[in-house]
Amino acid sequence: MAQGKRRRRKRRSEFAFVFKLTVIVALVILIFEGRLIYTMVTFDPSGEAVSSQSDSETVASGQEEETAAAAETSQSGYLAGLGDAEISDADTEITAQTEIETEPETMHDTVSDPDSTAIVRAQDEAVDDSYFSDAVFIGDSRMEGFRNTSGITEGTFFTSVGMSLSSMTSGEIISDGEDTITVAAALSGGDYGKIYIMLGANDLGEYSWADFKSGFASVTERFMELQPDAVMYICSCIYVEEDKVDTGDYINNENVDKLNAVLLEVCEEEGYYYLDLNELLSDGYGSLIEGASSDGVHITAEYCQEMLNYLKTHYVTESDEDE
Amino acid sequence: MGNSMKIDDKNHVESDAEENVKQKRSIAARKMTAVICSALLMFSLGGCGSKKTDETVSIDVSELAGALLETVTSDTLSETASSMIPSIYYLDEEDVASAAAFASSGATACEVAVIESTDTDSAENVETKMQTRVDNQAELYASYNQSEAARLDTAIIKSNGAYTVLCVCDDTDRAEEILEEYGF
Repeated sequence: MAQGKRRRRKRRSEFAFVFKLTVIVALVILIFEGRLIYTMVTFDPSGEAVSSQSDSETVASGQEEETAAAAETSQSGYLAGLGDAEISDADTEITAQTEIETEPETMHDTVSDPDSTAIVRAQDEAVDDSYFSDAVFIGDSRMEGFRNTSGITEGTFFTSVGMSLSSMTSGEIISDGEDTITVAAALSGGDYGKIYIMLGANDLGEYSWADFKSGFASVTERFMELQPDAVMYICSCIYVEEDKVDTGDYINNENVDKLNAVLLEVCEEEGYYYLDLNELLSDGYGSLIEGASSDGVHITAEYCQEMLNYLKTHYVTESDEDE
Repeated sequence: MGNSMKIDDKNHVESDAEENVKQKRSIAARKMTAVICSALLMFSLGGCGSKKTDETVSIDVSELAGALLETVTSDTLSETASSMIPSIYYLDEEDVASAAAFASSGATACEVAVIESTDTDSAENVETKMQTRVDNQAELYASYNQSEAARLDTAIIKSNGAYTVLCVCDDTDRAEEILEEYGF
C-alpha cells in the first residue's frame, strides 16, 4: 500500500516538474519571440496588414536604406575600377532612382581643370610590367607602400618615409646600403625613360602654395636636366580619410585639392603629364574611398593593385608626346 | 726454515702478480674514462657549432615568412614581389637564391623578410644589409612617427646557415619562438 502511494506521489511530482518547466519555456518564448509570433499570426501577403502610420514610416525608411546601400555598392564598384558593365539592368534602375534621391547637387571634381591637356587619359590597351623597366618612382611612404604591396615587378624606387618637397630637393634620404644620398644623386646614377613622382602628403600646410609651386617646378627641372629623355609623370596627391587622420588638421582634402591644382599648373607649364589618381580613389565627394586605407593616409594593398592597373592604362604614347 | 722461505717467496710472487693486474685494470679504466670524456666533449662542441655552421639546413622561405605574419597584429602586411626584394635590402640579385617578404602599405614599420643566400658568406652580408635597412628606417621614422621608430629598435635579425630573417613586428616573443622552431 505504502509503496503504491509513494509511486503515485513520485509520478505527481514528476508531472508537476515537467508542467512547470513547460510553463517557463512557454513564458520565455512569449517574452522574447512574442513579436515574431504576433507577426506570423497577423501576416497578410498582400501587405494590407501594415496599416499604421508608424509602420509605414518604418518600411519607407527601410527602402531608403536599401537603395542607399545599392547606390553605395554600385558607386564603389565603379570607382574601384570594377567597371559598370557588370551591373545588371535591374541594378541600373535602382541606381538611377537613387541618384535622383540621394545625389548631391554637384559631384566633386578631382581636378581643377578637367579639360587640361596635361591630364593623362585612359588608353584602350593596357601595358604590362615591362613598361616600367626603365621607370624610376620617386616618393614618400605612399609610394613605398605602392612598391611593397601593389605587386609591381619592374622599376627602380627612390622612396623615403616622410619625404617632402624640402627633403626631395636637398635631403640625403636615399640609401644604397652604404651611404645615404640625395634623390638627384641617386637619379644621376642611371638612365631612365620615365619618372613618376608621388609627393605632397607631407607638404600639406607646410608652405604657401606659391612657394610650393616654385620649389616643385625647380626640383623637377633639375631632374629633367639629369634625365633629359625621360617622360615626367606627376601623380596627384591622393585624398585622405579625414576621420582617421590623427597626424594634424592640415592633412585634409581641401588642402589636397589646392595642392593638386598647383601640381596640375606645373605640369601644364613644364610639359609634364598629370596622373589623376583620385579619379580612381575618390569616393566621388572629395574624399578617399572609405576602407581604402587603415590609417586614413596609406593605401591598402587592394587599392595599390588598382593603382598599378591604373598606371598600366594611363600612359602617353609617342604621338601624345608630339602633340 | 727452507720450506718457510719458499712459501714466503711464493706469496711475494703472487702479490706482485695481483698488483700488476690491478695496475693494468686501473690504466685501462683511465683510458676508457679519457675516451668517454673526449667523445662527450666532441659531441657537446659539435652540438654548439651545428646551429651556425650547418650548411645543409633547408627552409621553405615562403612558409617561414608566412608563419611570422602572425606576430604582426597592428597592420595587414602584403607579399612583396620577389623581384623587388634585392633592391629593398640593398642586395646583389646574384647573391639571393630565394626570398619572401611581406611589407606594410606604409601605415606601420612592420615587415617580415626571409632570404636564402647562395652561400653562408653571403648570408653574413645579408645580415649586415638588413641591419642597415632597419637603421635607415628608424632614422626616417624618428622625425615622422616615434612609436614606429621604437618598434624598429626591437627588430629581430637572425641567420641560420644560408638563411637570414628580418622581423619587425608586435609580438617579438612569439617571433623568437617561431624562429627557434625553424632552428634559428
